[in-house]
Amino acid sequence: MIVPFTHLLVLASILFSLGLICVLVWRSNIIMLLIGIEIMLNAAMLLFVAGSNHWGMADGQVFALMIMAMTSAEVSLALAMVVYLHRRKRTVNVDEFSELKD
Amino acid sequence: MKTALELIILLPFLGAIVNILLGRALPRRMVELTACAVVWGSFIAALSAAVSYSTPTVVYAGSWLSSFNLSAPFSLYIDPLSLSLCLMITFVCGLIHLYSIGYMADDPCYVRFFALLNLFVGAMLVLVLAENLPLLYLGWEGVGFCSYALIGFWYKEAKNATAGRKAFIVTRIGDVGLAIAIVWMFQHFGTLSITQLNQSGLQAPTEVVTAMGFLLLLGAMGKSAQAPLMVWLPDAMAGPTPVSAQIHAATMVTAGVYLLMRMFPLIGHSPDVAAAIAVTGAFTAFYGATCALVERDLKRILAFSTISQIGYMTLAVGCGAITAATFHLIVHAFFKALLFLAAGCVITAMHHEQDIFRMGGLRRTLPATFWPFLAGALCLAGIPPTGGFFSKDGILAAAWEQGGMLYSTLYAVGLITAFLTAIYSFRMMFIVFGDRLSSKEEHHPAVTNVPAIMTFMLIPLAILGLIGGLLNIPANLGNGLLDSFLAALNAEGSHLKSITELALQGTASLVALGGVFTAWLRYGGKRRQECISRAEQEPSPLVGFLRAGWYFDRLYRFLFIRPFEWLSAILWERVDEGVIDDNLDRMATLLGRTGQLLGGLGNGRVSAYLLSMAAGAALIIAWFAWVMP
Amino acid sequence: MEQILFYILATVIVIATILAITEKHPVHAIVYLVTSFFALAVVFYLLAAPLIAMFEMIIYAGAVMVLFMFVIMMLDLGGGGDAKRPSLAHCLPALVLAGVILASLGLLVTARSSAIPAASHMPDVREFSTTLFTKYGVAIEIISMQLLFAVVGALYLGRRRKP
Repeated sequence: MIVPFTHLLVLASILFSLGLICVLVWRSNIIMLLIGIEIMLNAAMLLFVAGSNHWGMADGQVFALMIMAMTSAEVSLALAMVVYLHRRKRTVNVDEFSELKD
Repeated sequence: MKTALELIILLPFLGAIVNILLGRALPRRMVELTACAVVWGSFIAALSAAVSYSTPTVVYAGSWLSSFNLSAPFSLYIDPLSLSLCLMITFVCGLIHLYSIGYMADDPCYVRFFALLNLFVGAMLVLVLAENLPLLYLGWEGVGFCSYALIGFWYKEAKNATAGRKAFIVTRIGDVGLAIAIVWMFQHFGTLSITQLNQSGLQAPTEVVTAMGFLLLLGAMGKSAQAPLMVWLPDAMAGPTPVSAQIHAATMVTAGVYLLMRMFPLIGHSPDVAAAIAVTGAFTAFYGATCALVERDLKRILAFSTISQIGYMTLAVGCGAITAATFHLIVHAFFKALLFLAAGCVITAMHHEQDIFRMGGLRRTLPATFWPFLAGALCLAGIPPTGGFFSKDGILAAAWEQGGMLYSTLYAVGLITAFLTAIYSFRMMFIVFGDRLSSKEEHHPAVTNVPAIMTFMLIPLAILGLIGGLLNIPANLGNGLLDSFLAALNAEGSHLKSITELALQGTASLVALGGVFTAWLRYGGKRRQECISRAEQEPSPLVGFLRAGWYFDRLYRFLFIRPFEWLSAILWERVDEGVIDDNLDRMATLLGRTGQLLGGLGNGRVSAYLLSMAAGAALIIAWFAWVMP
Repeated sequence: MEQILFYILATVIVIATILAITEKHPVHAIVYLVTSFFALAVVFYLLAAPLIAMFEMIIYAGAVMVLFMFVIMMLDLGGGGDAKRPSLAHCLPALVLAGVILASLGLLVTARSSAIPAASHMPDVREFSTTLFTKYGVAIEIISMQLLFAVVGALYLGRRRKP
């Protein structure tokens, strides 16, 4: 264990909060919103890996891998949707896409 | 025996079901044939049951209500009382069914009519044959429903529908009493079987039996139109005449008396109840007779006479003379059915004119109706030696036999009523059938032909009414058939000395003949015309009082209906519209506004959703961090 | 030595991420983010997870970020003059919420995790692989199916429609 577990947790918390801020602030650009989600997921991965290291179990790393696979699936779909929506509306502003309300 | 009993009940129901389900598809003759055939089949079944009858039997036909220690199976009880009533009901109703074919010949709703008529008979037979009180109550309510539907048969006129409703509601008051009595009996005795209840009278304190007896009396008052619940019966004339005949003669109104007779071994333990029954009966008899004296409507005269005659039966039950009550019930069924059916012929012939003062001279034009009607009137008036004389005499003798101040008074009332009965029945005869002396004859519509089947039905009833007395001739003239048949029911029997009885009979016949003579003095011959012209003038206060049925209707309107309407108006306008509806409206408005407010949150903007989700997450995490240490 | 390296990397990660999320130009943001992920990969390596570090570099910093870049360039969002930084009024609720969450997490982390003993044993690649393919075999199958669905979905969304 190179550093106290607590420090890793604090780092992950900071990273998560930054991702959250990114998601909440960038409503004018859906690309930035997706980047915020990536940051949050990375924070979660850091947590898993740190836990795996702390308890000496491989399970945490396995879940980090799962997150990674899931993220790639999510990103590919999300970006495909961004392309599709941009083709329809010529904008990436999140609040423009509110048709589901009706 | 069992099959016969089951058939008695099932056949009318079968007819009703067939007519309800298939009646529209069948030709008219088939419907009429079915309706009549099932009732006559029922009569044959009753006859075979009577032939093979030996001792009172309980027949178990199937289970019905059964849970814990409550059990009310479909079990039928056959004893002399129910057997004689069954024979009478099926026979009289069979005649009435045949008569209806003629009477309803022009009516398009004949399917409904015959189905209901069959159902009526079936319900009454259930009532009569029931071995336990819930089954009796089933028949009781079935009879009530059918009477409601048949009185309001021509429901397109508001007056008829109202009469049906009135009958239903007024009898309902009595039904409540009966229902309470049934539940109370089960609570107290732990059984609902009539035979067991009748044996357990001594197990209960007299006060309890008295209270139960009063509740049963209330039920009987409603069903049998006894004072003070008699107001529905005159209005029930709105129905077709065969229905009136069936209600008055065979089925509905006798149910109350039957209930009292059936339960008398139990409630007779309380002298108070017996006295109350007797007083009710005597008062009702007097009331009906006085009202019938001045009534102008032919059918309403008969209705009031029914009230009066049922009062006699109730009086007999109150005197403990079950045989006399049964005897009068049966004879009354014959002659009252006869009178009603004959009145139906008259009304048909007069183009549905029911005012007796517009009739007249029918003796010549309708001889086939006149003679049976005369027989009926003789029975009703109690002229010896018709059946009506013997049965009424039996009742008066029973009241005399009881002795004491109360029963002597009741005997006197009964005698006065017999006098009045003779007057009004012959007033009816003289005015309806008497020769017309006026020159305005051509103003009256010509008499139309009456279907032969209608007049033909009068003959057997007339014969039975006239010779009905042979069923139970008094002890001094021989042994009564019914008396020995029903001996098990009233153990007391007749203790009167032959000479006393003869004296009583003499008094009764003198009174009846005096009544007929009085009627002739007032209405016979030439005086008929004066009477009619006098009727056109303003009626005197006494006549007005009697004609309005002693203002009972008005009294009830004032006592019950007005306050009820007033209360309803308050509940409707103030409570329902003012409080409940208003509150609901306000609540709905509030909810609608809240919904719109909340709906504004769902504005479709992803950023707003994300923000609120983050806020929720922050709240949860902050809760864990600070509030839940 | 490793400790110092970790703190340096942590600083790099945080600063690069802050720069990434405040940058209004998406391409620049992606570049900052790649920097951050590289540093994170090294942290993973320090935490005795070399395989995850490799995947982080290859899949995240490599494939995913390049995909982002590709889409940005394809849609020509890069040099857009209309792209503007959000106003402070937009930022404020986000900052407040993030502050609350961060403070709560910090409190929870510092208050509750002090007494946890560390394990001496470190999982190696062999153990990782064994766990992955034995204990979580079904999960692997599900994840791979999910990837397949994602491919199909992306193809469907991206197909050229007839006008």
